[in-house]
Amino acid sequence: MAAGWLWRRLCQGSVFPVSYASRITQKQRFLPNCDLRGARLAGSHADTQEPKTNPLVSVSDEPETLYKRLSLLVKGHDRAVLDSYEYFAVLAAKELGISIEKVHNPPKKIERFTLLKSVHIYKKHRVQYEMRTHYLCLELKYLTSSTAAVYLEYVQRNLPEGVAMEVKKTKIEKIPEHIKEPVWDTLPQEKETEVKS
Amino acid sequence: LTPRTEKMAVDQDWSSVYPTAAVFKPASVPLPIRMGYPVKRGVPPPKEGNLELMKIPNFLHLTPPAIKKHCAALRDFCTEWPSALDSDEKCERHFPIEVETVDYVSAGTSIRNPKARVVTLRVKLSNLNLDEHARKKLVKLVGERYCADTDVLTITTDRCPLRRQNYDYGIHLLTVLYHESWKTEKWESEKSEEDMEEYVWENSRSQRNALDTLLRIKASENLSPGTEEELLASEVVKNYRNSVIALKNEGETERNMSQYKECVKKLLNIQA
Repeated sequence: MAAGWLWRRLCQGSVFPVSYASRITQKQRFLPNCDLRGARLAGSHADTQEPKTNPLVSVSDEPETLYKRLSLLVKGHDRAVLDSYEYFAVLAAKELGISIEKVHNPPKKIERFTLLKSVHIYKKHRVQYEMRTHYLCLELKYLTSSTAAVYLEYVQRNLPEGVAMEVKKTKIEKIPEHIKEPVWDTLPQEKETEVKS
Repeated sequence: LTPRTEKMAVDQDWSSVYPTAAVFKPASVPLPIRMGYPVKRGVPPPKEGNLELMKIPNFLHLTPPAIKKHCAALRDFCTEWPSALDSDEKCERHFPIEVETVDYVSAGTSIRNPKARVVTLRVKLSNLNLDEHARKKLVKLVGERYCADTDVLTITTDRCPLRRQNYDYGIHLLTVLYHESWKTEKWESEKSEEDMEEYVWENSRSQRNALDTLLRIKASENLSPGTEEELLASEVVKNYRNSVIALKNEGETERNMSQYKECVKKLLNIQA
């Protein structure tokens, strides 16, 4: 399968479980006017008299949605795991050319509760449990939808077990056509009482 | 049976030993790791058969060279951010509407999260095509959702079960608000002084009182009482008007109070 071929490229010949297969990502154009097409070469400093086009990349014509900010909040029980994950996510963002705005650690939250130690009676003897949740916040700036999809899929596939993530995406768009001008000017002025939707 | 670690070369390709996330295999990792609570007057237990090392998620499959290889292959699928939009103000100018959505990833019996359908739209009113009346009406219509300090209208939609439906509903709300604010109903002409957002000096009590006082001063001194328009157009009255408007709209600051004091003194011809 084509997806298996992609992952085979990554691990240099070792056998890969097919469950890792991902869809072939659509690379979209930003605006029909801008000239941003073409597959970007990985390691383009070598040879290339003619640009190598990756056969898995397909360019589509619809304009891309832009994300002004992508905020990743990662929650886990273990600070060391989150630190390693932070190193991984930051390195991945730098390699893919995504600008990182801020990386910080919101303070941890501890949820504690007290239960009876024994099954029956012995009210004075209790046992206390606590759940510690550590947070890691990564804020990335200025991503296109293809880049965001690629980065998020990569980073979420490699999310360690026992760690959760919330992704807040801020998409920016132009004002839609129907809000440019009030529609009352364009309607025919036959009657005073027009049907208002 | 010698473990594999004895036969590993120093410059081997580590990403073929651990290509994916896998358990910690002590015979495959050539590091002398000890983990766990140490015995009395001893050291933490070694890596062979160490449950602690097996439990914790390891990042052996994500070493920096492995990450670089992955990203090199993934870079073909990324597109560049348009270089013309390198600052927040330019983004704001060309793309005024911000749509905020949240995705949740966690392990559990189901991948769905009901909080994922919330959509928040944010627009600055200065970017919409509104005139004065439409703007005031829109602000009155939305009430709490408008923040006057930053001039941002925030619409949070939650009522539909799907995110796309919520987004469409949000855009529909924006459209409806926009068009309704351009309409002028018949009962809007009954807008009274309590409904006004900011203080307007014309036809207010302050204007009437000032004119009244000036007319009475002129009558008592037996000067020719000028018409109302002349009095209104005179310098002292204009300064008084400005100071009163500043006081009411901006609140009481040192500057405003001293300005008001000066204008009242000039109006009533009191010296020191």
